[in-house]
Amino acid sequence: MNLYEFEGKNLFAKHGIATPHSAVVRRGDDFAKAYNDLGIKNAVVKAQVLSGKRGKNNGIRFCASSDEVSRACDELFAMNIRGQYVAAILIEEKLDVAEEHYLSITYDTNKKQPMLIYSVQGGMEIEDVPEEKLQKYLLDIRQEKIEVDISCAQELWNCFLAEDTRQVEINPLIKTTDGRFVAADAKVALDDDAFYRHEEWKNFEPRTMLGRLPTERELAVQKIDEGENYYRGTAGKYIEMDGDIAILFSGGGASIANMDSLIKAGLQPANYTEYSGIPPREKVYQLTKIVLSKPGLKGLWIAGGVANFTNIAETFQGIADALDEIKPSYPIVVRRAGPFEEEGMKLMKDCAERNNLKMKLFGKDTSMSETAAILAGMIHV
Amino acid sequence: MDILISKNTKVLVQGITGKEGAKATKAMLDYHTNVVAGVTPNKGGQEVEGKPVFNSVKEALAVILNEAKRSEEFLSQLPNGQRSFAGAQDDNLKNVVSAIYVPPFAAKAAILEAIDNNIPLINVIIERIPIKDTAYCLAAAKEKNVRIIGPSSLGLISPGVGRIGVVGGPLVNEIFQPGSIGIISRSGGMTNELSWQIRRAGLGQSTVVHVGGDLLLGTTYADLLKLFEADQQTKAVVIFGEHGGSYEFEIAELIKNKKYTKPLAIYIGGKFVSLFPEGMNIGHAGAIVARGQGAEEKEKVLSAVGVMIADNYETLAELIKPFA
Repeated sequence: MNLYEFEGKNLFAKHGIATPHSAVVRRGDDFAKAYNDLGIKNAVVKAQVLSGKRGKNNGIRFCASSDEVSRACDELFAMNIRGQYVAAILIEEKLDVAEEHYLSITYDTNKKQPMLIYSVQGGMEIEDVPEEKLQKYLLDIRQEKIEVDISCAQELWNCFLAEDTRQVEINPLIKTTDGRFVAADAKVALDDDAFYRHEEWKNFEPRTMLGRLPTERELAVQKIDEGENYYRGTAGKYIEMDGDIAILFSGGGASIANMDSLIKAGLQPANYTEYSGIPPREKVYQLTKIVLSKPGLKGLWIAGGVANFTNIAETFQGIADALDEIKPSYPIVVRRAGPFEEEGMKLMKDCAERNNLKMKLFGKDTSMSETAAILAGMIHV
Repeated sequence: MDILISKNTKVLVQGITGKEGAKATKAMLDYHTNVVAGVTPNKGGQEVEGKPVFNSVKEALAVILNEAKRSEEFLSQLPNGQRSFAGAQDDNLKNVVSAIYVPPFAAKAAILEAIDNNIPLINVIIERIPIKDTAYCLAAAKEKNVRIIGPSSLGLISPGVGRIGVVGGPLVNEIFQPGSIGIISRSGGMTNELSWQIRRAGLGQSTVVHVGGDLLLGTTYADLLKLFEADQQTKAVVIFGEHGGSYEFEIAELIKNKKYTKPLAIYIGGKFVSLFPEGMNIGHAGAIVARGQGAEEKEKVLSAVGVMIADNYETLAELIKPFA
């Protein structure tokens, strides 16, 4: 989960990294009062979005009065920044800048350990900093102390370890004219797999990177898995998209390959959905109902590879339960194989017959990609 | 020649009394793989699928190695017996593989226990281990020269020899047959699907490995390609890759340095991610370690060193068939 700047700064502050004096405002708040309460003159007003490049996209304003702050907040809340929804606004003191540095820690996949990256040339997009201006230090996750003489590095490392992050970044790390180091921005990604040991993460507000609030359907799918902290048949992911083909994929790899072939077949996905493990019938039923509740659907593609251990009959029973209720009139294509495939396919066939569904069923002798083209053919007759 | 698993392999299942561990034990035994024991703290003395359960890896190994030692001692009394006892013990440990089936919160301790006991190959099946715990285990494993496959690995199989985990499930004999194609996959489901496409094309597999889909991989594509290079049975390799990460670039380096010279075909999934806003995966700091490492760049770099690029996964079988 990616954090908003203000959430990241709260974590930094917890670990002893200085952050600017600030206030967070939401839609409908009294922006002028928030600014006046801070007791500052020059303020930086920043849209809270989940990706970078705000500065270049007019998401950061400099203000010197409550009127200017109010106007800036109104404008920012009316914007989408590079497709990102503005969840909140951070009003903070403008620092007296002497230098802008860069400091981050993230996992290096080649070394398989965290890497600290530091540059005295911060403030700009780090991708634009020449390689020779970057200092890289390979860290060892087993060591609590790091032998790096850089301001805030030890504190950032403490934060990285204690908060189970995948990435922490301060850009810019400002050296003020009076010689203090202050984190002027925060980019933090938490490790979702560590959720079970961070009760406090439940308090984070729902979020999506899709330039909008999570949809009702997305929230409903998250609910299906609530209370399950680890692996045992998750109902899966659901991301709502603009197209009209409902998607029920099994397995992460298969769904990635299938999304590519769906688009290649000229169809547009209504959602990205994947379930994996051995989800029980009830979970698959709920997931299917949510996927099929999107208006304007023109087709349904249920596809997965040759399963290793997923019980095809059990998962298909859940899908059939939902189809019995909804009885879609649009074409449905199923491609699946694996344990209990015969029982599963018979369940679907019976379901199609009793509900008069336009359904075609395929096993492992037809590849998943081929069935995308078959669905396209059924829709375009 | 078999890589990673052989007829002499002895499998230890950590977490054997759990549902997944017990199921995998049965699956391995069904495929004639020698599961010798299981480990679950506080459940020592029980049995799963007729195999003894021990409280710790150390206890389990003591029994396994002692049995081996007895036969070694018997052998050493023969006129040609030359191996020392210590050497014999190392030799027996060499064939032990631990499959990790404990829940994520117990994974770090279980993996470290296996490492501390010098088990040379650890297949981490369990999913959703916090990345910090994975990094910790990988650092410890590296120091002891222990190979970890996974986490989030479904396992591996050498058709006709044995399997670790449930690869192939109950359909294993319909999907796998001994042959000359090595397979590496980032996806568990696609490990099976791709193996089936190879079989459907009339080919067989040498060894098939699911490396897992996590950001950090214990064993990478490049690590396995080195093993396939040395394996006489393997004539060519296919890979199911995914967007993200930088592991494909290691392949290009390997080929440039002539450490892998056999034919190779790869499919890299995830082109649709361009439909989503940029930054939905990993942001700046990740991007900088992995600077310039998008899917198209990966394909370009691999293509330049002679790797065959597949448009979709089933094309992999067609591309590799002439080299089988």
